[in-house]
Amino acid sequence: MELLLQTVIDGLLMGGLIIIIGVGFSLCFGVMHIVDFAVGEWVMLGAYAGYMMVRHFGHDAMFYLPVIFVIFSALGWVIYPVILQVVSGKRFNPAIMGLIFTFGLSITMKGGALTVWGYHIQSVPTWLTGKTLYLGPLTIPGLRVSGFFFGILVTLLLLAFLYKSRYGNVIRATAMDRDTANLLGADVRKVGAFVYSLYAGITAMSGALIGALFSVHSVMGAKYTMLAFFVVVLAGMGYVPGVIPAAIILGLLQSFVSVYIGGRFNLAALFLVMYGVLLITPKGIFRRGW
Amino acid sequence: MKKLTIFALITFVIFVVGYAQAQEKRDFFKIGVVTSLSGELAFGGSVTKRGYDMWEDAINSAGGIDIGGKKYKVKLVYADDQSTPATAAVGGERLITQEKVDCILGPYASGTTLALAPICEKYKMPHITGSAESPLIWLRKFKYTFGTIPPVNLGPRSAIQTLARDVTPKPQTIAILGIDDAFSKFAAEAEKAEAEKQGIKVVKYEIVPEGSDYTPSVTAIKPLNPDIFAMGNHEKAAIEMIKIAKELKFNPKAYVQHYGMSTPDFRKGLEKDIEYVFGISYWTENMKIQSPGLFKNPKEFANAIRKKFNVEPDYTEAGCAAAGLAFQEALRKVNAPPPLTDAQKDALIDALEKLDIQTFYGRIKFATEGEFYHCNAGLESITLQYQGGKLTEVGPPKTRVAAPKYPTPTWDKR
Repeated sequence: MELLLQTVIDGLLMGGLIIIIGVGFSLCFGVMHIVDFAVGEWVMLGAYAGYMMVRHFGHDAMFYLPVIFVIFSALGWVIYPVILQVVSGKRFNPAIMGLIFTFGLSITMKGGALTVWGYHIQSVPTWLTGKTLYLGPLTIPGLRVSGFFFGILVTLLLLAFLYKSRYGNVIRATAMDRDTANLLGADVRKVGAFVYSLYAGITAMSGALIGALFSVHSVMGAKYTMLAFFVVVLAGMGYVPGVIPAAIILGLLQSFVSVYIGGRFNLAALFLVMYGVLLITPKGIFRRGW
Repeated sequence: MKKLTIFALITFVIFVVGYAQAQEKRDFFKIGVVTSLSGELAFGGSVTKRGYDMWEDAINSAGGIDIGGKKYKVKLVYADDQSTPATAAVGGERLITQEKVDCILGPYASGTTLALAPICEKYKMPHITGSAESPLIWLRKFKYTFGTIPPVNLGPRSAIQTLARDVTPKPQTIAILGIDDAFSKFAAEAEKAEAEKQGIKVVKYEIVPEGSDYTPSVTAIKPLNPDIFAMGNHEKAAIEMIKIAKELKFNPKAYVQHYGMSTPDFRKGLEKDIEYVFGISYWTENMKIQSPGLFKNPKEFANAIRKKFNVEPDYTEAGCAAAGLAFQEALRKVNAPPPLTDAQKDALIDALEKLDIQTFYGRIKFATEGEFYHCNAGLESITLQYQGGKLTEVGPPKTRVAAPKYPTPTWDKR
């Protein structure tokens, strides 16, 4: 029973991390219809940013999360026009063009990180590392709990913004029908830039958390790109509210497979579930995806 | 007419280039190096590069390799395998066919080495890896591939033996987690085999994919309360596993890691949490070895690495420099000036098979038969443990500097 409960807790907390990576990615896909292959590299750059800030200015890594959000949002804002250039106009199959461009972007980011920070494996220090809460016989790692609640908070704030604010309405309208929104007066270019910068900022923040939990190196992103794809397929492409349950399902799946079947079957189980979802309900488990 | 002229010009250029290459003359040995300078094994690749570069520096400072009374310098030419086997094969082929190297020093990882070795067979190119440890390499019995570091299935024995024989109370149970790559899973297998031999009960043995979140695996092991928790791993998993163990308050009496625990990144990433972790090595600077050749003893090599690269030396660097030493001595015996002909390369293979030298790294004597064919399998591994923040030799008894600290205090009491 104790093992079962601990497995559930591990799964929930693993899901919490996936939420933060998946939420921005889902929004980006929903509004801009861009599959950003560089999602894992935004995570990696965010992790390096956290590492550099702690190293140069001291204090705790968690203290810098808002700073990382601002910096990477600005970077996203700057990069967006280049992406727009690739996916707009009379180009053949803009979705594929976007995919190829962001794939190139991810390679550039990886290569850049290797050049700037080298091949060493770093760690983002925070006082939360090693802090543990006890719930009877259960062990709950402090940093993971923070990550979990942070992920939920970010997603809820984003949903509140999307569903309760006027600009959120504009974003959702653009996601539903870009051309009609444009005809009705929405500046879809600005909406796109805003969404991409929001996505870059949120994803980079998740990087700082991941860097504290695991390790930081230039090729860490691939794993998170894969997880982001999994969660978006499960939630329904572009359906932001589906990210929380989808990420928790993925976290629980990984945890249960590792504990009760064997860690080696983890990826196979994830692929199997994704394949099943694509086969049975291609619009995600809530049938609300794109 | 125009087409004919272009065709004639191309033919002429090909002929001239081909003739020039066939007539290549140089007064230095050109040695190719295929290793990971980018990609996820770039850290390990950098360690091999330091070892190879150190040897190149030392031999050139000594004037070069003595062939018939004349000294020939060495020039290393690198090919980045980008941490992928396919690129290692392409890089090796480029070094052989375009750079016309005399011999090759091999990659950091076993997977890339297994891709490079058939290319060396195809072109009959002598190849020594100073780092790869998978026994799969030696089971293939490649004629042109040698290795200075013993196979990984012999390595972890010493750590398990030290814990089984030299600590009280004797550990009764062990849980083993291996990462699924050509190197790490063999380390895990070796830990399992040695534990069983020593009468330690294996309560969990699992191989997990590289890059996994190891939290659930630790959750599954924790209730079994093993005395020893051993891993087959590289440096990244080594760091992440200790972090997870601390978070989940997993308290085995001993942590055993195979590779990675002796790297600077492990010390920097975990700071005081490195204390009490066990690991293995084939070489440390405290070993009592005297060598007649380059680097008179391990201390001299260690200091040279510190001076040139400002890092603490690791056994992989020593193994790579030793690979250079093996080529150097074999080339001296072949007594052929550069560039080597195909027949001289075959003679180099014979010389390597007969080689038996004492170096700062230990004895180099490649096996010429059996499951470790062409591997320098005779070296004994050393058990290390972090004590007072420093890597300390705790076994076997003849190399012991301090007694192993056991049991490891729980995380709450550190």
